[in-house]
Amino acid sequence: MKDVFSMWKKTKMVVLVALCAGLYAALLIPFKGFVLIPGITEFRPASALPVVMGLLFGPAGAWGSAIGNLIGDFFGSLGIGSLFGFVGNFMFAYVPYKLWINFGKSSEGIGEPDLKSGKKILAYVVVSILGAAACALPIAWGLDLLGMVPFAALGSIITLNNSIPSILLGIPIMLILYPRIKKWDLLWTDIMDEDEIPVAGRLSRIGATVMTVSVLGGMIGGFLAAFGVGQGLLYSGFGAGGDVGSLGVTLVAGVGTAGLIVSSFIQTMPKKSS
Amino acid sequence: MDMFLYVDVESFVHRLDPRTKLLLMFLSFAVGVMFNNILILTAALALVVAYGALGRSLSNLKRIRVVLVMITLFSLVIWSIARPSGNRFLVFSVDGVLYGLMIAVKTNLMIVAGMIFLSTTKIEEIAQGLVKLKIPYRAAFAFSTAIRLVPMIVATSYTIIQAQKSRGLDLDSGNLIEKIRKYVPLMIPTLISVIRGTNIFSMALESKGFGYSDDRSNLLEIRMGGKDYAMMTAGLLILAAAVVLKVDHSIYDAWASIFPWGDFA
Repeated sequence: MKDVFSMWKKTKMVVLVALCAGLYAALLIPFKGFVLIPGITEFRPASALPVVMGLLFGPAGAWGSAIGNLIGDFFGSLGIGSLFGFVGNFMFAYVPYKLWINFGKSSEGIGEPDLKSGKKILAYVVVSILGAAACALPIAWGLDLLGMVPFAALGSIITLNNSIPSILLGIPIMLILYPRIKKWDLLWTDIMDEDEIPVAGRLSRIGATVMTVSVLGGMIGGFLAAFGVGQGLLYSGFGAGGDVGSLGVTLVAGVGTAGLIVSSFIQTMPKKSS
Repeated sequence: MDMFLYVDVESFVHRLDPRTKLLLMFLSFAVGVMFNNILILTAALALVVAYGALGRSLSNLKRIRVVLVMITLFSLVIWSIARPSGNRFLVFSVDGVLYGLMIAVKTNLMIVAGMIFLSTTKIEEIAQGLVKLKIPYRAAFAFSTAIRLVPMIVATSYTIIQAQKSRGLDLDSGNLIEKIRKYVPLMIPTLISVIRGTNIFSMALESKGFGYSDDRSNLLEIRMGGKDYAMMTAGLLILAAAVVLKVDHSIYDAWASIFPWGDFA
């Protein structure tokens, strides 16, 4: 998490936050009319961007994703859900680049996210799905807690709505953008100081494991708790009725959300060169 | 095309400090979240609308009417089918209709409160308000720059679309999937043209002394005045009344008994 705060010292990273947020918002706004759950979410091809922005621009992509989503909400859906949306969209870009560091067995991880091998594409798909679920978890938990939308319905809709574009559209975008961003020296690892970039290591692996368990545990456990009080997945979740704001869902998904946030702080930092 | 909701008129609410307006918006959210009673939520919505009228911003209701109507219809239909109830007409339950109405009023209350804030507060005022609330200047700068970039990015993509159309790209024919497939490649030049400007943008900022000093002076100075404290006090008093209503069962029950079918506490 250190990188998330220290990045603000770099002017280029500040500019990237603004550009990422602007791009994300500009792509979200035209689809505000394609509503899936009024006032809460809509069809979002823009979901292709956060994972790409996270892998390319690291913390700047994560802040850009969170701010961009908030700006998108300014166009007709600013409400209490925007607070959870801010956290969720931050995680949508943050989780993929955090987990990417820990793919592969070597201390170098899986390498650059250039998607030039099947293994890297598979890793991209995995981090996209986990990122999408990490976005859905705090939003669905928060709105269920407030008694507004059932956890199982909202959680499943957001996960699908986020992961499909981030995989189908994100991979070609990444393949085209990566070489150019690298050539322009705009990868976050090229902009940040070396001692502020987390590396693969014991703590990072623990952090990644806790993060993955929190996201999957929070979502799957939350679904199971939600089914227990009569909720259902996707739109059938609205048809099924069920208890919204139940203690079981609040606790299980809440622990998952807390674990997701706590795990962000567990990472290996490089030794400072004297 | 004016993409933003800001209404450029003179009004009492426009003259309030952005921090006051931000607090009033969050207080509206809090009251909306606290209750599951149609009557109380409708009273809160009426207060919010009156505040919007004071800010001469209700013309924007027209711009977001589709969202408000969709929220209402969606809630009514979904909850009238989903809500378990014995008293049904075809597949719809009467209890579900009222529950859906309550959810619709609650969601619309928050959306309208958000709309009023954006209709009466300029982007630079929001950014300045965030700085005064101790949000780091650089984060507030990124936020306000991003908002300003949105129309520019939309204009860039529009130019790219027009350029491709003039070269014979047919974007109008085909079904929705085919149209999406045609539009997606057009995202790439937009992304590249925007990101390509990063280096020049940061050099321009640094050449103007961006980040030189933490003590910045601003062209726009905002200051809390008497009317701000009055409005904040009024808002906090309303919240306090709402808390009393929530915790004192005798008062709440008296309210709820006026329209018992609309109470889902």
